[in-house]
Parts: sequence; structure tokens; C-alpha cells
Amino acid sequence: MTDTAIEAAALSKRFGRRGKWALRDCTLQLPAGRVCAVVGPNGAGKSTLLAVAAGLLGPTEGSLTVLGTHPTEARPRIAYVAQDKPLHPQLTVADTLRLGQELNPGRWDATVAERVVAQGDLAPKTRVRSLSGGQRTRVALALALGKRPELLLLDEPMADLDPLARHELMGTLLAEAAESGTTVVMSSHVVAELEGSCDFLLLLGAGRVRLAGPLEDLLAAHTLLTGPAGALDTLAPHTVVESRTTGRHLSALVRAAGPLDGAWQTAEPSLEELVLAHLRSPDAPALTLDPAREAAA
Amino acid sequence: MTALAASPTAARLRSRFAPRGLTWSVLRLHRTALYVGGAALVAFAAAMVWMYVIGDDARASTGPCSPSAYCLNLTASTFDDKTYRRLVSLTAEALSYLMFPVGAWAGGALIGRELESGTARLAWTQSVTPLRWLAAKLAVPALLLTAGTTTAVLLNVWARQDGGPDLALDWYFSNTFITTGPTAVTYPLAGLALGALAGMVTRRALPAAGLGFAAALAFFNLMDWYRWNLWPTSSVTVSDPDGYQLPQTALHMSSGYVLTSGERSESYPCRDMPGPGCLKEGDVTGHYTVFHPQSHHWPLQLMDAGIALAVAALATAGAFWLLRRRTPSRG
Repeated sequence: MTDTAIEAAALSKRFGRRGKWALRDCTLQLPAGRVCAVVGPNGAGKSTLLAVAAGLLGPTEGSLTVLGTHPTEARPRIAYVAQDKPLHPQLTVADTLRLGQELNPGRWDATVAERVVAQGDLAPKTRVRSLSGGQRTRVALALALGKRPELLLLDEPMADLDPLARHELMGTLLAEAAESGTTVVMSSHVVAELEGSCDFLLLLGAGRVRLAGPLEDLLAAHTLLTGPAGALDTLAPHTVVESRTTGRHLSALVRAAGPLDGAWQTAEPSLEELVLAHLRSPDAPALTLDPAREAAA
Repeated sequence: MTALAASPTAARLRSRFAPRGLTWSVLRLHRTALYVGGAALVAFAAAMVWMYVIGDDARASTGPCSPSAYCLNLTASTFDDKTYRRLVSLTAEALSYLMFPVGAWAGGALIGRELESGTARLAWTQSVTPLRWLAAKLAVPALLLTAGTTTAVLLNVWARQDGGPDLALDWYFSNTFITTGPTAVTYPLAGLALGALAGMVTRRALPAAGLGFAAALAFFNLMDWYRWNLWPTSSVTVSDPDGYQLPQTALHMSSGYVLTSGERSESYPCRDMPGPGCLKEGDVTGHYTVFHPQSHHWPLQLMDAGIALAVAALATAGAFWLLRRRTPSRG
């Protein structure tokens, strides 16, 4: 076991020789044993990062290791659920789980997979083609969890689900992951679905790392300010991520470098406020908080 | 392990030979194709048995016919006779055209659909490398096809009995040729590999099915055009300007006149009827005939089958090369 699930060094990925860079110079470290959210707008490189980690794509430049080794070496220890949850439509649910058993010899835990399916009230004889979106996601998750992965990579797992199914599946997922100590790395552009479930945040924008670190530390490192518009000058020593003026009032998200002027009303931002502020200000400097150093301090 | 040891022998044998892992997944995912192929083989075998049963009656109805002369069978065809001929041509067509549906299926259902829908990636993120995945995708159908077509060819040769050319068509008719030797086994394998390559190239089900079919069609027709050039022909020269009467079992390639200069001319060099006068006037010393005797059947079969295998090997290598290039590997 290693305490780093994914480590990337100057990772860049471009599709085609003259294509756009999907990932550019990403250096990051995702700790093991956490539920890590990979957040960013569409086209930020989330899916590409997960596919590289799953050993499906090779980097154009730089390198990425998973569980301390090359992604293709770690294949039996990783599970990956793609955004569109590809499954064989002609198979039944039971046959789909059998497929997981046959293709993961020595790793498969039928009890876990069957439990995940059973919680969704799914008849094993149902054909995959007749499943609803939520049921399909459940079967894809069962296939992934049945493998007993050390690292579970989920690409927009809940994107097309109604709130109830999303809530149910997230519960199942987090319970199973917690029980087996699986590291979960989950991408999403719906920030709300991550609140309260993830404890590590990676924010990508235009293929680059914008924010990375333990969620609590990242939230603590930022302060949401409101105050008179004229007091903007007093923010000079701090890093202003975003500031907005409404009439004579000013609200800003800052990374405080020291005590703040007394004129400000301060609050800790929510995950959504933190993410939105960074998405609205693409030029704000990136911030990476090293989980290992935080733990040592 | 103790539970396994305690189980009855039959169950143990079954579990030992039951398909596992990737083999199981290929068989399960393509179960429909497996059933269709099995049904086709059963139907083919039934047709062969029927052909064998009515063979003697059909032969009797065509009457005696010298094997050294062309036979104009003017007697009315009997029921058995007609049925027999239809059976012969239908089954020969079915077996020799098998590579077309195999090519389309391999491109569409076997490879293209999996790449298009993302289920290939699903397999590659289980404990299975992409290369092993493709190897199983090709090996399992190849084994089953080989077993099936070998059975079909043996049945066909058995049912044709002496291969009486008036009934069962001569060995050099395309479909007869393809279905009476190893060529029948290697063509569908070439179709499989060409289809798989089409699937890897297009990465979509429908275009891959079309491309796989087209590639098999192109291969089939190229072989049809150049097949008889794959082995040196025999040639006979006689001084009789009427020429040499080829046995019916030989495939006539070309014939003409040999001039005194030693040159060969396919066109008739005299204005007069053939005869001693023409020999002088046209400087003709004789008549030549170029042909493939029936003894060339096997060398031609081996050349043809060898080329089909080479095409299959190249297409397979191409498919693996594309897969390797698209998926990361260590180092």
C-alpha cells in the first residue's frame, strides 16, 4: 500500500498532433483513502485525467502513476466507470456481474456486487437494455465495486440521475467504499452532489490544476468578505481570487496572508462559493495544499 | 478446494471444461452468432446427407458418360437430378460465400460495436489488457470457424462421392474449388481478420460491418481472377492442327497454333479450313493447349489457402498494431 492514489508530474495530454491540450502541465497528488472530487467546467480535462489514470489513455508529456505504479500495471487494482456507463445491452444483470467475475479472476467479490444490485430492487434476470438510467448506473457501480478496487475512478457518475436516485446511489457508493477502504476519485460539474461526501478537492480549469488539497484546508485558506467598496485597497497584501462590487458594497473571496482589516465582515466560503469564484476568475493563481505536509504539521 | 474434490466426477469434468474468463465472455457476448453458426452447420450437414442419399439415383439418371469427352446430357432431368444439382450449387455457394457475413460480423458486432459503445473500455478496465482482449476476440471465433468449416468441407467431399462432373460440377468451378479443400477453412479466417481490422480502423459498428464485407468481397474476387496463376500450367503441343482434346477434368486456359518460327498464335492463321494446306500457308507446325490438369487441384489449393492465411495474418497484425498504438503500455 502506498498513501498516494494518483500522482502526476507535468502531465499533459493532447488529442491528435495539432489538437487542443486537454491537460496541460498538471502536477498533482491525490491521497489514498479519501473521497476526492475532481471538479471543473465541461472541457476542463476531468474525463481525460480519469482515463489516463485508468490506463485507457497515455500521456502526451509528463507522467502519471497510480497506486505507486504505471496505470496499466495497476489495472487489476483499479475500477473505472465511464461517463456513459457502457454495459452490454444484451446481457442480463446477473450475466453482467458474471462478466465481472470472469474478467477479474481472484479479485471478484460476488457478495458485494449482488448487495449493490439488490439494494436497487433489480431483478437479476432483467436485461441491461431495459434498465432506467439510475438502474444502469447501479449495475455499473456494482461491477466496479465487485472488483474490490483499491482505487475507484468515477467519471460524472451521477450526472444524468434524478435527485432521489443520486442520493441513494451516493449513499451506497460511499458506504461500500468506506467499508473496504477504497479511494474514490469522482469527477463532476455538479458541485452540489459533492458537498458532504468528498474530503479532497481537485479543481481543474482549461486543462490546468486550479486548486488541490484537503477540502477543509482549502475552505479554511479562503475567506469570503463583504464590506464598503472603498476598502478594496486594504486587500493589497492578500490574494484576491474574485471581487464584485454592487453599488457601494463589495464582496470578495480572498486568500488571507495575514489579519484582515476590521472593516470587513468575514465568513468561510461554502464549497460551491469557492468553486464558482475560481471558475469566474480564470486568472486567479492556483493553490495546491500538500496533504502530506498538512498531516505532518 | 475441498468442496470441489467432494463433488461428483461429472460435475468436476464439466467445471474443468466449462469456458472461463475471456473465453466465457466472448462466447456469452456473441451467443446469437454462435447459435446462428451452429444452426447453419446443422442445416449444411443435413443437406450433405440428403445429397449423399439421392446421389446414386441422380447419377443413374444422367446415363453413362465417358470421362474423356464432353457430355451433352440431352435426356430429361429427373427429380433427383434437378434437386441434386440445386443442392450442389446452393451448398457450395453458401460455404464459399461464408467469408462475407463473417467479415461483416467481425467488423460490426465483434469489434466495431464494442469500440463504439465503450464496452471495449469496460473490458480493459477489468483485469484484462487490451491485447489479451483482442486475442480472445479473434482466437475463440477463429477456433470455432475452423472446426465448423473443416467439418463442412469433409462432409462436402464425402457427399460429392466421386465428384461426378456432370452432377457435382468440375473441380475448377470457383465455388466447387473453394469448397473442396483447405481454402474453405482459410477464407472465413481471412474474413474474420479483415473484419477485425475494419473494426479497429473505423471504431464504429456500421461502417466496420460494411468495410469488413467489402474487404472480404475484394479478397474473394481478386483470388477468383488470379487463382489459376498460382501454379505453373501444363502445356501440350500436337502436330494435328485440329488440336488436342482435353479431358473434361482439365481446366482449359488457352490454346492456339505453333508457327514455324516457334511463336504461338491464339488466332487461326489460315483463311482456309484447317488441314494440310493451312499447315503450309500459315507456317503452322502444330497446336498447343495450356491447361491445369486435375492433379493441380492440391498445389492450387495450398497456394490459395496459404495466401488467405497470409492475408489473415497481416490483417490480424494490423489490428493489433492499431490497438497497441491507441492504448498505453508500460515503457
